[in-house]
Amino acid sequence: MFAQIAAGVGMTVSITGASLLIGALLGLPLVAARRSAWTPLRTLATAYIDIVRTIPPITWLFLIYFGLPQYALRLDSVSASIIGFSMIASAYMAETYRSGLLSIPQGQWEAATALGMKFLPKTRYIITPQAFKVTLPAIAAYAISLLKDSALASTIGVHEITYQAGLVSRATHQGLLAFSIAGLLYIAMSIPLALAARRVDRVLRQKLEVA
Amino acid sequence: MPFLDQWISWLPALSPGLGVSLTLTGLCLLFGMPFGLLLALILEGPVKPLRIAALVVVEVGRGAPALVLLYLLYFGLPEGGVTLSAFATGVISLSWTTGAYASELFRSGLAAVPAGQREAAVTSGLRGWSGFRYIILPQAIRISTPPLASLGVTIFQTSSLAFVIAVPELMSKAYALGSITFEYLSVFALTSVLYGSITLVALAFVRLAEQRLSRHL
Amino acid sequence: MEIATERAASPPTVGGVKVLGLHKSYGKHAVLHDVNLDMAEGEVVSIIGPSGAGKSTFLRCLNYLEVPTAGTITIGDTTVDAGARRPDRASLDRLRRVTGMVFQNFNLFPHLTVLENITLPQMKVLGRSREEANAVADSLLNRVGLAAKSDQHPSRLSGGQQQRIAIARALALSPKVMLFDEPTSALDPELGLEVLAVMRDLADEGMTMIVVTHEMHFARDVSDRVMVMADGRVLELGPSEQVMTAPTHERTKKFLRAVLDR
Ligand SMILES: Nc1ncnc2c1ncn2[C@@H]1O[C@H](COP(=O)(O)OP(=O)(O)OP(=O)(O)O)[C@@H](O)[C@H]1O
Ligand SMILES: [Mg+2]
Repeated sequence: MFAQIAAGVGMTVSITGASLLIGALLGLPLVAARRSAWTPLRTLATAYIDIVRTIPPITWLFLIYFGLPQYALRLDSVSASIIGFSMIASAYMAETYRSGLLSIPQGQWEAATALGMKFLPKTRYIITPQAFKVTLPAIAAYAISLLKDSALASTIGVHEITYQAGLVSRATHQGLLAFSIAGLLYIAMSIPLALAARRVDRVLRQKLEVA
Repeated sequence: MPFLDQWISWLPALSPGLGVSLTLTGLCLLFGMPFGLLLALILEGPVKPLRIAALVVVEVGRGAPALVLLYLLYFGLPEGGVTLSAFATGVISLSWTTGAYASELFRSGLAAVPAGQREAAVTSGLRGWSGFRYIILPQAIRISTPPLASLGVTIFQTSSLAFVIAVPELMSKAYALGSITFEYLSVFALTSVLYGSITLVALAFVRLAEQRLSRHL
Repeated sequence: MEIATERAASPPTVGGVKVLGLHKSYGKHAVLHDVNLDMAEGEVVSIIGPSGAGKSTFLRCLNYLEVPTAGTITIGDTTVDAGARRPDRASLDRLRRVTGMVFQNFNLFPHLTVLENITLPQMKVLGRSREEANAVADSLLNRVGLAAKSDQHPSRLSGGQQQRIAIARALALSPKVMLFDEPTSALDPELGLEVLAVMRDLADEGMTMIVVTHEMHFARDVSDRVMVMADGRVLELGPSEQVMTAPTHERTKKFLRAVLDR
């Protein structure tokens, strides 16, 4: 039974990993737009972030998986969930980046500007390394929550952990056991993420404080 | 705007579902918040076996997806000889999730009460339970209220999961409507608008409450 | 600490303070070495000394906010012996009942109104009725000149007003001894003056007070004796006039010069 449920781990990891990666990349232009001085762009980015986050993930998945084929865009369930979760992740990642940036005291920007640094080097060498310290644990925390959200993909038929547990429980009538195993698998998978985050956090903190 | 007419004609079919979603959320907060506070008190308390039990409840509640907890209770309770309606199972399961997350928020609220407050309580003779009850706890609850309110909004969204165990809430009504009309895109768009607008309104209230509460801190 | 216990057998005058052989260390790091103090009822002692001298630690040991490593503390007729591993709850409660404490950063309860800050401890600790507690609070608020503020929350008050409320809160429990830890350090000079005025009145009315302070005027003019601390030891302890103008210890002279030059 365990093997059958654990067979979903690969799919869970793929969906979570792919969505996190795409979301992390999309989050970059999104946060830039969110902080843009040009009001229409800023409003658009803000609206996107808010709308994505105020609608439950399962609604997004259904909208994409059941709704889009109406316009001949037929997606398989895996692609549909990666698209949905990437979209959601991009909004959360943009907010994570933003709070990282906000945590940098104004004085750091000013000091870099006073030294004559342009926007890109300023961002690259002064701000990002400092913002990273705040952002990384938040990214890890979001990765864990995305990992758990990925369970929703089972509702549109993706063969990940929860889906497998459902199959097993229907076949064996041992739902308690099947879903306990599933739950423990998720917990076990998030532990390394949490530990890694704590470790990186500590190392970065030490580095920055010495500097 | 033809889709608007369509939406309006659908509202009667969806609104009972929205009612169930809101009721479900309300009950989960009603049970989940005190449960979370209880868990937090046990976790901060001196009794080790209780602490370990509470820790398991919290870690599973936060560590396992809410969906898995729903299935776990939905399939597990009958196997243990307990037969409940899907709705009751949804309430229990989501209250567990709520309590687990709330306990962490209560604990960080407790930790955020300045050490000087404990000292002032003790030097004013308020030690032990009465100091906790009258000085520390009220401040911790105030500190925790904004994140708890945000949690409430999250739980409203999470209530959509009850769909999978056939609780007739908004998602399940929407799905049913979609399978009759085959207008999935439009139906789920309307559903999104409903979830989104309620969430936004609720968040606005959270922000307002936040401002009011921070006045005396 | 057998000797200390023996000496503590002679209690101070009623309401006085007697501290014998007080030691405190954090792990291996000793912060207080053999501090002794004997005060009569109604006496005011100021404690001065450089930062890190152990002034706060000493004061906080007196009501067991810090647990001393060794020594005995007698306040009024309550004696607590740190040599005895864990003092019983009852004597700790009594020790805290007879001491009132005022903190550098006030520590008023932000979720309660000014009035409630003063009445709640009375009702919960002394079991007074709301009416009694209100009456006590009213008269104390009058005394510190803040009767008009009773329904406000602390965050609406200036630092000086908050500190006066904190004093009233402590007085409401009728302590025998008042402990002040730099009560004016967090305040602008003018606001500090209104707090010092309240403290001066309190001293005139015969309250026994121990005041850690950087206010040299207060130390000289209001207190009966001044205790100078450095590196966890008492350098000297004598009549304030003498300590402030003709200190015997070289370190004290240096410290006073440094402070007065500022
Ligand atoms: N919790 C603690 N753990 C370890 N060392 C401590 C602790 N609290 C105080 N100390 C140390 O004890 C010494 C005395 O501190 P204390 O606060 O009593 O000094 P102070 O005379 O009140 O100084 P200040 O004028 O700065 O308030 C200091 O060296 C301090 O570092
Ligand atoms: Mg001090």
